[in-house]
Amino acid sequence: MYRSTTASLAAGLVALALQSSPVRAEPVTLTFWTIDKPDQAQQSYVLAHEFETKNPDIRIAVKHVDFADISNDAIRAVATGSGPDLVSIDNPEVALFASHGAFVDLTPMIKASKIIDPARFFPGPLASVTWKGGIYALPRGSNTLALYLNDDAFRRAKLDPARPPATWAELRADAAKLTDPAANRYGLAFSAIADEEGTFQFLPWIQSAGGDWNKVNGAAGVSALTFWQGLIDDKLASRDTLVRAQTDSFQTFVAGNAAMAISGPWELSGPIAGARFAWSTALLPVAGPGAPHASALGEHTFGILHTSAHPAAAFRFLEYVYSQEGRDWNEFGMLPSIRNADPKNPAHPKAYATFIEEMRYARVRGPSPAWPSISKAIQSAYQGALTHQATPQQALDAGQSAIDSAREEASP
Amino acid sequence: MSARRRSGQDRPGFLHRSGFETALLAAPVLFLVAVSALPVLYTIAMSVQSVDMFDILSLHRPFVGLRNYIHLFHNPAAGRIALNTLLFTTCSVVAQVTIGFALAVFFQRRFPGAATIRGVFLAAWIMPGLVVGAIWKWMFAGDSGVVNAILAASGLIHAHPFWLSDPHLALPAVIIANIWLGVPFNMILLSVGLAAIPRDLYEAAAMDGAGSIRSFVSITLPMMRATIAAVVSLGIIFTLQQYDLISGLTEGGPANASNVAQYWSWQLSFQTYQIGQGSALAVLMLAVTALVASIYVSSTRREVVA
Repeated sequence: MYRSTTASLAAGLVALALQSSPVRAEPVTLTFWTIDKPDQAQQSYVLAHEFETKNPDIRIAVKHVDFADISNDAIRAVATGSGPDLVSIDNPEVALFASHGAFVDLTPMIKASKIIDPARFFPGPLASVTWKGGIYALPRGSNTLALYLNDDAFRRAKLDPARPPATWAELRADAAKLTDPAANRYGLAFSAIADEEGTFQFLPWIQSAGGDWNKVNGAAGVSALTFWQGLIDDKLASRDTLVRAQTDSFQTFVAGNAAMAISGPWELSGPIAGARFAWSTALLPVAGPGAPHASALGEHTFGILHTSAHPAAAFRFLEYVYSQEGRDWNEFGMLPSIRNADPKNPAHPKAYATFIEEMRYARVRGPSPAWPSISKAIQSAYQGALTHQATPQQALDAGQSAIDSAREEASP
Repeated sequence: MSARRRSGQDRPGFLHRSGFETALLAAPVLFLVAVSALPVLYTIAMSVQSVDMFDILSLHRPFVGLRNYIHLFHNPAAGRIALNTLLFTTCSVVAQVTIGFALAVFFQRRFPGAATIRGVFLAAWIMPGLVVGAIWKWMFAGDSGVVNAILAASGLIHAHPFWLSDPHLALPAVIIANIWLGVPFNMILLSVGLAAIPRDLYEAAAMDGAGSIRSFVSITLPMMRATIAAVVSLGIIFTLQQYDLISGLTEGGPANASNVAQYWSWQLSFQTYQIGQGSALAVLMLAVTALVASIYVSSTRREVVA
């Protein structure tokens, strides 16, 4: 009885499969590694699910990989040929993957695409996915830095939060007025930690002064590092700035132990809610009157590994991600990477206005396939000077020679 | 002894043993080759090659001789990190063994709750290094850390030392946290050694009029020699592989002030993808560890003979 039921059921299923096979192609399953976590309704999972509903011929198997491991894991997967179709990679590492031929060059597919228009990208995000004229990944969204102000502390110090510091000199003067050791409060919180976050925070200072990642030991780099050194030496920022990640530093701002903070939009989806004071945001101060604005560009990008058997299907998912950039701010805690993708009712509208303006000045780190080594050289330079083991000039000279040799090694 | 040796000569040689016996021996040997010997050989090979992370599977890579080692020694941070590693290992092991020994002797005395309190001490040891690092990071925080609060409340300090961001204090801070982490393990191993010393030795010594210090120096220390050698060797090996505590506390900073060889090796291999240099450093550490391990093995062998 049981056996015959099973047999007839199986026969029925086979018949059904045979019937439906000419109508619909075998569904393609894409594997997708992301740093998002499944339990928090984060972007990768939300968009993958929506995409599957709209495209029944494509399934996406999303897998969470820790932020710290994803590059390593993806590189090893490329080496062993066992990689996913789609992978999320931090934007300064796109050049590493592109230069090794690990990412599919998306340029031809983008040219043929009716959805993606590269001209709409802000310059920073576009540069971050471009390598030798080709586009090798697409930003999943962006983030950048701005200055957060404790408005109440400003007023108590007889400062007007509506007139935030616009230059380094004003920043320093305001920080001095806001610093109050008796109340355990510093003027400014930022991060000079010896990892990628510190490089991310340091580069806008060099860039506003006229230097950049590939030229750190000129006058621009020295003035930027000397300025940082002064903030810490004069106790306008905590010495623990050297070991605090950005979120740790921002916590001291939320707790009222720092009157200003430099951090990104990620603080708005959670941490800022703990602030028991009025706060506002402002553009990062520039080196001096008339100096250019500069800010950092962060966020992961989605690329297609060259080992993928379904690059066309994977690209359709990238098109969908691009088409949903307008939801980045309100739903996913990121900024859109493209112009005019503003949400209708942005959360924290004033902060959004600051950050979206800052996006125009957000610059890519690199691009260089040797970015991890270059970044390490920059970190050693600012940490060496901030701990007074070297003068800013000496520290940056050593950094420059490490940067030069890393770039030389990377370009055979 | 001599009788046993003679009877051993009568046994069939290795090649004449049954297939079953050979298989029994082959299983662990194959296992060791697969999980230990091959990775070590692979690391040694990578240390003399130019390794690109993207073709990590291929063994056909450009041979560069000792270039990775030379680059390593020419790195401006090398001297500092070597000294840090020496200080980190020596201070950690000496303090862990001394404090662990003192606690082991203390808990050897019979008093109410001795066993329970000794168990509570183990709580430190079962905690993951990353968690320990995160907690000590809060405690060592310069502005609001509990360490500074206690020191200030007891009038010991007036300024706030920045334990983790002052280059003179970062390494001592990491060492303090590592000592705390390692003491329970040392205490337990040494307690086992102490428990194995026959009680009647102490009773006889007491009858001969020996005081507690004399008993400790003349009975406890000599009887514990092999155990202490083992604990010190294991302590050196464990300290040389202490990675997660440093990752959680300082990431080797500020400016490499608390960086040690094992963390640097990881940074080279997995942060900047200079796998050749990372492997070279790993090989150097392997040499040190092998030396320590051989001392450990010879000390335990002597114990068996004794």
